[in-house]
Amino acid sequence: MSPGPRFDPAELLPLTPVAFDILLTLVAQDAHGYAIMRSVEERTGGKTSLHAGTLYRSLSRLVETGLIEELESPPEEASDERRRYYRVTREGRQVAAAEARRLESQLGAARAHGLLGRA
Amino acid sequence: MTPPVGRFAEVAYRFLLRFYPRAFRERNGDEMLRLFAEKGRDTRETGGTARLAAHWLRATADCVKNGIGERLDEGRERRRVAGTPMGNTRRNYRGGGGVDSFMKDIKYAARTLFKNPGFSWIAIVTIALGIGANTAIFSVVRAVLLQPLPYDEPEELVLLWGEMRNRGVTHFPSSPPDYRDYRDGAEALEGLAGISTFPVSLTGDDDPIQVNAAGVTTNFFEVLGIEPVLGRSFVEEDGAPNPPGALPGQAGTLPGMVVLSHALWQQRFGGDPDALGRTIQIGGGASEIVGVMPPGFELYMPQTAGLAQDVEVWFAQRIDFENSPRNNVFLRLIGRLRDGATPEQLQAQVDRISATLVADDETKATAGYAMRVEELHADLTAGVRPVLLALFGAVVFVLLIACANVSNLLLVRASGRDRELAVRAAMGGSRSRLVRQMLIESGLLAFVGAAVGVVLASGGISLLLALQPDDLPRIDSVQIDGAVLLFTMLSAVAAAALFGMVPAIQSSGFELADALKDRSGASSSAARKLIRNTVVIGEVAMSLVLLIGAGLMVRSFVELNSVSPGYDPAGVITFNAAPPFARFPQAVDRANFMVEMQDRLESIPGVVRASSVFPLPLTGNLFNGRYGTEEALTDPEAFGQATYRVAAPGYFETMGTTLLAGRTFTPADNADSASVVVVDAKLAGVLWPNESAIGKRFLVRVTTPEPVWVEVVGVVEHQRAEDLAVEGPETVYFTDRYVGSFGGTWVVKAGSDPAALMGAIRAEVQALDPDIPVASVELMQTYVDRAMGPTRFALTLIGVFGAIALVLASVGLYGVLSFVVRQRTAEIGVRMAFGAEAGAILKLVVGQGLMLAGGGLGLGLLVALSVSSVMDTLLVGISPTDPATYGAISALFMAVAVLACYLPARRATHVNPVTALRDD
Repeated sequence: MSPGPRFDPAELLPLTPVAFDILLTLVAQDAHGYAIMRSVEERTGGKTSLHAGTLYRSLSRLVETGLIEELESPPEEASDERRRYYRVTREGRQVAAAEARRLESQLGAARAHGLLGRA
Repeated sequence: MTPPVGRFAEVAYRFLLRFYPRAFRERNGDEMLRLFAEKGRDTRETGGTARLAAHWLRATADCVKNGIGERLDEGRERRRVAGTPMGNTRRNYRGGGGVDSFMKDIKYAARTLFKNPGFSWIAIVTIALGIGANTAIFSVVRAVLLQPLPYDEPEELVLLWGEMRNRGVTHFPSSPPDYRDYRDGAEALEGLAGISTFPVSLTGDDDPIQVNAAGVTTNFFEVLGIEPVLGRSFVEEDGAPNPPGALPGQAGTLPGMVVLSHALWQQRFGGDPDALGRTIQIGGGASEIVGVMPPGFELYMPQTAGLAQDVEVWFAQRIDFENSPRNNVFLRLIGRLRDGATPEQLQAQVDRISATLVADDETKATAGYAMRVEELHADLTAGVRPVLLALFGAVVFVLLIACANVSNLLLVRASGRDRELAVRAAMGGSRSRLVRQMLIESGLLAFVGAAVGVVLASGGISLLLALQPDDLPRIDSVQIDGAVLLFTMLSAVAAAALFGMVPAIQSSGFELADALKDRSGASSSAARKLIRNTVVIGEVAMSLVLLIGAGLMVRSFVELNSVSPGYDPAGVITFNAAPPFARFPQAVDRANFMVEMQDRLESIPGVVRASSVFPLPLTGNLFNGRYGTEEALTDPEAFGQATYRVAAPGYFETMGTTLLAGRTFTPADNADSASVVVVDAKLAGVLWPNESAIGKRFLVRVTTPEPVWVEVVGVVEHQRAEDLAVEGPETVYFTDRYVGSFGGTWVVKAGSDPAALMGAIRAEVQALDPDIPVASVELMQTYVDRAMGPTRFALTLIGVFGAIALVLASVGLYGVLSFVVRQRTAEIGVRMAFGAEAGAILKLVVGQGLMLAGGGLGLGLLVALSVSSVMDTLLVGISPTDPATYGAISALFMAVAVLACYLPARRATHVNPVTALRDD
């Protein structure tokens, strides 16, 4: 699906934590469902563990919205070509960046109020 | 690469996927299954069963939550046709709006339930009882009936049973030459092995002990697909025959090659790997240890095979196929099908081979010989399948009754909530939202109930194992694992749907205006009443069916207790101590040993009588042989089949078996040439129905290939030897000298406390021969109790479930009538104000209750009559439609129903007309 000329990443904010996690993984590299789950687990030290339903619902939504897309064929270095691989789109990158900036400004505020200790 | 997931898990997860809308499922199902499997694998690698159970629980919750959420989103999508694509989807992926409100609904439901703790507790306990019973029984069903046997590709294993159709024999062993013909002739077989078991004494450095040994063909372990953990499996040379005529243990014989069980290796050799290659004395002969089986390896064979299950020593049988006679039968046959071959194909091939054997052998022809192929697992569980299925049926009924009760509770409560729901509806809550709210409450109740139920089930399983249902194969592997938990969750979902749906639909269908202006909601109350009454009638009917089942079991148990087994087990001690063949090769030596032992035992103070027998009743061993009169010499079909037993002088006196005619054996009978026998009343009745059997002669085939004449000197009462529940075949008793060998099971009648004599008995055996182990020391009473085990097991469980059902049904009846009384308070008040007597009111309410109970009773009787035949095999001595049981249970049920109706009715008579009228 191609987003119209009026595409504005801010419209899609804030992202759900799961959607943001998925985008973060895919910004680094194309991945399949299990790899996304493992990468999220590793990044959060095992605190966030995605289950199949939550993960694939979010993936479906992100595909419908055009923030990520499914690869027609798996990347060449793929270990298992029968899996479904996902890649982040240009819009997806923009939205992820916008979400990161939004969080950053919130973090800045939190820091300024001493919630995280002074930098 | 296929996902690393078991078939069961795959089926189960695909079931859970059904929560999702079809399109989503078809798109993502395979990937989700793969992810689930990989996660499961990670969990298994890092944690134990508890982790795995948690993994399943979370996966279930995930599917339920997201599945419902996805369906709601999809519905919303369909309704909202307009709008930009981005605008639409934005909401969706961000909010998971369905999920949010779903969580909100759950919180709201939890608050509602907390606000009514009384209602919630009753509902939860009721569901927990139903689900707990289901979980416990399902865990047994799974371990015993569903779980594959712990052998390599166990579904390929088959048993081959000889049949003698003209003599009613269904589980006949085979001779070595017959075995060879089947093994080499049936192409559908990848392999065929033979096995027989027998007790042997193990002597050497430690105390002598008796262990169960299995003599197997050398390919036995290969056919099962099991390798020893230590050493090697048998090779063909291990079974090379001894020189003709050589007796075991004598010069010139080859050593036995043995594989030990893991337990015996630990116990006897302390787990020392150097035990391999050592020579041990087994049954008086030298044997070499070549291997050790893995821990937990067990022989799973149907009880009808008459094989010992806890085998500790495996021998490679040295069989001389060339010189072994075809009427020397002792091998039980277990085979493995070739890949792709079916039992039917094998049966056809086996039939052809059997036809050849029959054509060559007149005895086989007259006996109606055939060979039957059975699948191992099906045959193993054939005996217990009816009990388990009856129990499973019982717990499903308990759960249905529990659901009926909770459903009624919800219905009753729903009428109290009309206003709340009406207000919510008036404020814009859609009908589907209200239904959803109520379903979520039901679901919450069901899940909490299921959690409590799992706790109840794990306690219930311990109790169930305490009943020692020894006849249930692999009962020791019963546990609550992922599959059982999944079953629990599915039953919870089913239960929630069942008890939640009717009240939810009912409540949401009420007329808004009615509920707001009128407390009793007249338009919907008629429909509700109909539903309530139907539910109660169904509930009463189901619990009556269960109670009748329980009643039939009680009758069976009483019947079994009152059966005279043909002996008096009180005060009788039994044990094995036999002179080993290898050290006492001559029959006269063995006989002398037995006589001296008997003298020594009888000389112990406190011993009333001592004697020996083989086989002892109820120990699972039976030796069958032919018998017939003169007629059978010309017409072999006139032969009958009897159990043969060896009894020493004094056996019948020790066991308290009544002598009906003639005399019992005397020491003088114990001479080589005396062809005298004692028969039981059953055999005497068959051969000489109207005359005295004493002095009559008939034919037996016990030690010789051809039938020989024996003379009857005595007739005794029939002993139930196979099982207390069945009469069993006719019996011929021989003297020990006539047969020439002993099993050597001793029976000792004690004057007072039998346990106090055990020390003295052991001392006498030791004094006579220190190398002979005293084994299998049991009271005769223990064998009798054990024989009652299966009936007691079924009785206890069906009884417990019946009692639960009765309590639930009476609570249900009570609850509905209480509600009716409360609703009709005003009417009753008016009636009383107009002068109705208390008695009339009582009659009114009780009458209404009894109508419901009576309707349920009638329905229940009909159902019970039509389904009770499933219990046929569990019952002893009574028919599944026993009128006395049906009558008594119906009466008991009506009595309870009257009580359940009387309490609310009495409350009705205490209604104060003034208060009642003012209240509304």
